[in-house]
Amino acid sequence: MKLSNEEYKALEATVGPEYISQEPVIMDTYNQVWGNKFFFDEKHSVRPAAVLLPARPKEISEAVRVCNRYRILFKAFSSGFEYLSLSLMNSKSILFDLRRMNRIVEIDEKNMRAVVEPYVSVYRLQMEAAKKGLFTGRIGVGYSAGVIAAECCHHGCQHTMVFTSGYGRNVLGVEWVLPTGEILNVGTGEAGSDLFSADGPGFSLRGVLRGRTGANGGHGVITKASVKLYPWYGPKQWDHKKQPGEALSKGQLESVPDGYKVFVPTFQNLDDTLSASEDLCRAEILCAFGIAIVGTNPYSEGNDEDWAMMQKTAETRARDIDPAGGGVSIANSVVCVIGYQSPGEMEYKEKCLRKIAEQWGGTFYDNLNEPRALARAFADIMWSSGVNLRATGDFLPSSSSPDGSPEMLKRLALQEAEIKRRYEQAGAFLTLGSGARMVSWRPEEHLSIGAQGISTAQYDPYDPASLQAARKFINEIFDPRGQFNRYGVPSRGGCLQIEPVTHVHQNWGPRYDNYDMWLRKIKKMLDPNTVADWTAYIPPEYPDSPKDGDYVLPSYGKAEQL
Amino acid sequence: MAWQDYTHDMQRCTRCSYCKWIPYRYMRDTGFMEGCPSVSRYLWHAYSASGKFNMAYSLLQKRIEIDDIFLDVLYKCQMDGSCDISCKVQQDIEPLQLMQELRIKCVEDGQLVPAHMIVIDGLRKEDNMMQSKKQDRGRWVEGLGVKDFTSTTAEVIYHAGCRYSFDRDLWPVARGGLQLLLDAGVDVGVMGVEETCCGGRAYELGYAGELTKYAEHQIETFRTTSARTLVTPCSDCYACFKVLYDKIGKKPDIEVLHITHYLERLIKEGKLRLKKKVPIKVTYHDPCHLGRLGEPWVHWQGKEYKVMGQMIVHDPPKKFRRGAGGVYETPRNIIKSIPGLDFVEMYRSKEYAWCCGAGGGVIDAYPDYAAWTGAGRLKEAEAVGAEAIVSACPWCKRNFLDAAGETGNKIEVLDIIELVQRAI
Repeated sequence: MKLSNEEYKALEATVGPEYISQEPVIMDTYNQVWGNKFFFDEKHSVRPAAVLLPARPKEISEAVRVCNRYRILFKAFSSGFEYLSLSLMNSKSILFDLRRMNRIVEIDEKNMRAVVEPYVSVYRLQMEAAKKGLFTGRIGVGYSAGVIAAECCHHGCQHTMVFTSGYGRNVLGVEWVLPTGEILNVGTGEAGSDLFSADGPGFSLRGVLRGRTGANGGHGVITKASVKLYPWYGPKQWDHKKQPGEALSKGQLESVPDGYKVFVPTFQNLDDTLSASEDLCRAEILCAFGIAIVGTNPYSEGNDEDWAMMQKTAETRARDIDPAGGGVSIANSVVCVIGYQSPGEMEYKEKCLRKIAEQWGGTFYDNLNEPRALARAFADIMWSSGVNLRATGDFLPSSSSPDGSPEMLKRLALQEAEIKRRYEQAGAFLTLGSGARMVSWRPEEHLSIGAQGISTAQYDPYDPASLQAARKFINEIFDPRGQFNRYGVPSRGGCLQIEPVTHVHQNWGPRYDNYDMWLRKIKKMLDPNTVADWTAYIPPEYPDSPKDGDYVLPSYGKAEQL
Repeated sequence: MAWQDYTHDMQRCTRCSYCKWIPYRYMRDTGFMEGCPSVSRYLWHAYSASGKFNMAYSLLQKRIEIDDIFLDVLYKCQMDGSCDISCKVQQDIEPLQLMQELRIKCVEDGQLVPAHMIVIDGLRKEDNMMQSKKQDRGRWVEGLGVKDFTSTTAEVIYHAGCRYSFDRDLWPVARGGLQLLLDAGVDVGVMGVEETCCGGRAYELGYAGELTKYAEHQIETFRTTSARTLVTPCSDCYACFKVLYDKIGKKPDIEVLHITHYLERLIKEGKLRLKKKVPIKVTYHDPCHLGRLGEPWVHWQGKEYKVMGQMIVHDPPKKFRRGAGGVYETPRNIIKSIPGLDFVEMYRSKEYAWCCGAGGGVIDAYPDYAAWTGAGRLKEAEAVGAEAIVSACPWCKRNFLDAAGETGNKIEVLDIIELVQRAI
């Protein structure tokens, strides 16, 4: 839908003519993201009517007021590598592309925090923070993703959460353009002071801002955020090196940097792996934790090289992956990173780690614990190496993803793994072998506040059978009949679903304290005219969608047509 | 392959935005992490490689048409291939080839950039991309007393290329390179007035027919000489002779070398002795066409199939060009062999070097953008403390000189030939 001349002019006045566009050629590059095919049957989601490139909060504030005046939906994004960040309910919508707001405003060494604008990527902040001995948590989706998007807007889980906690718990304060256009500073102790204090007395504004899974653009625009930083024990700079003639993907650290040690214990079965993981995480010795099957492998250039390597090592791989094969069970290996400031600290942590591993029958196999494999694992698990969508074209971090007790997560992880195995055996997903049950467990804060479980399914969205299977798989994982006996709202890969398609809140709100009513009240309070796009948050009212009993069936393939 | 043949790639672009940056593993300074000049300058996602995939997919689905905006986005791009390299760190898709095919489609459809039409008109009339008279082509070499293939023969053809032949400011470099070969006793000659454009730049603009025409002409010319080797000081020409001719199935039956290859050979053989100290701190700028775009072409024909359930592979296995096979060490070896010289790398180098700004027709159609891009590189050279930026291509030198002039940057802009001359 084209904006009227009056509407466009009003928006243009906020950012200037150079920084607004409604050209179809430009607009159609803001609605094609991985994952779209899963929801909409097309790579294209709704085309925005215009995109704005603001440079200042004031410009956004003024544009949002225009949106209220003319009832135009809006949403903001930083890198846009998230289908939720570009999804729109209808085409009378605009997007704010925040790439001009790209300053690291401050790194406060003493108070271990950074203040950043939306287009500051996680890896950029990691590089700058390291110069001051500080670290921001890894983000799962890749190095171009924004700090603010991760911490303030979306949900996700990653390997350093054991140490740095989950995204949402690191927000100290924000500068927030509300859906009304007002600019709110959350986290200021007094007028004009820094964004420092997370919460004052009363309702948690930080909780309202994002809650557990983020409002995904449904609450306005975060234009600045103060986020926690954690100790970085490694060097101020580092180099990945490759040999001349080798592909760039071959570049790696020469060794694990001083200040860190990496260990890869292997257990007998998934059950023991998860139990050992629980103890390892509770011991408060880890900086990062994850499954080993990806991280320790040599990097290959592409799928063909991957496949060649797989064929070359087929025999040992089959044995290694399948615990029944009696070999090194890579699938039951975990990467444990410890950081230290003194030899004594390192000695203590290593001793502790080895003792726990021993208690659960862990073995430190040489091939997984040789220096280069450990260096690869370190880089993969500590920084933002990115999501590998190369193998099949798309992936589903299926995830039960509730914050939950270790026991519940262990049970869910095992159940999910069994379900996934069925689809793999049918050839619908990438499969590494009959015994491979890749369950990645992301404990938060040394398991003091639970953990998230995840089992990744890689499928081909342009293969109709694979796509169909992916949807069925997600539906099973959603557990519409409550057979998993879980607590927590399921979500896809740490993100809410596209709400008009998958009806997450409509299905799970009534089961969990009617939380959806609270979401809707908050939304109504902050956004009286419903102009902040809600496709990834909460709809103003539930649509009348087909049901199977009480369960509202998903409505795939409903993107608005041109 | 036609542009529609890249549908798989259009579908599989995930919008990760890696095409906008150099690969994260090689990021060294947060001020110099960007890889794509186009999206860095023009900001809209369309200007990135990912945006081009999106545009192509929308065009395929008839959601958009080729209009002025489409052309603006497609042609405000140096075709430098940085996006291609970064993308392929994680993906098996071909951004640069798609962009090339889109340009060819635009030309075939008569959707032309006015500034390029003038250049191509000149090419068709005068066999050069500089809008100059063909009869002036050999003037740069006057007085050197070098063999001319129009009347005699030699073992080595020294192909200056359009820029060196007609840009008077750069004549000393072209002559210097030739003189180095002559001084080393190389049996070298030039085509003089009969030298023509290689056709590479025209191809990058989308004029595929011009490449074929000049490839056939050059191959015929090479055949009529007894020369065994072609040496060019122009990186654009090198990539054209070495890579593009092979790509279109017209690989010449002659050894194709960039002058850095030949100089390194002469240094190793002791025929060129770099004895004089050159006490200067220099950095080296990898020309895109010598570096990542200078990687030999890899022919592949086959089909996609799936293994391990859904992993997409190729039969036969497809070797993607990921830039590693470009010419990187040769110029560095030459520079490092100069006594007294202090060499420093920039933050973005080799496969992931920032472009000089001249390529892809940008210098012709959008000179301000070319200068902006070049100025970014000069800034990076200064940031690593270099007193001079050295390259190995006349287009880089020209654009750096222009950028320095516009920004007041005082850094010295040298071609590697000039540096070697100083050391002799």
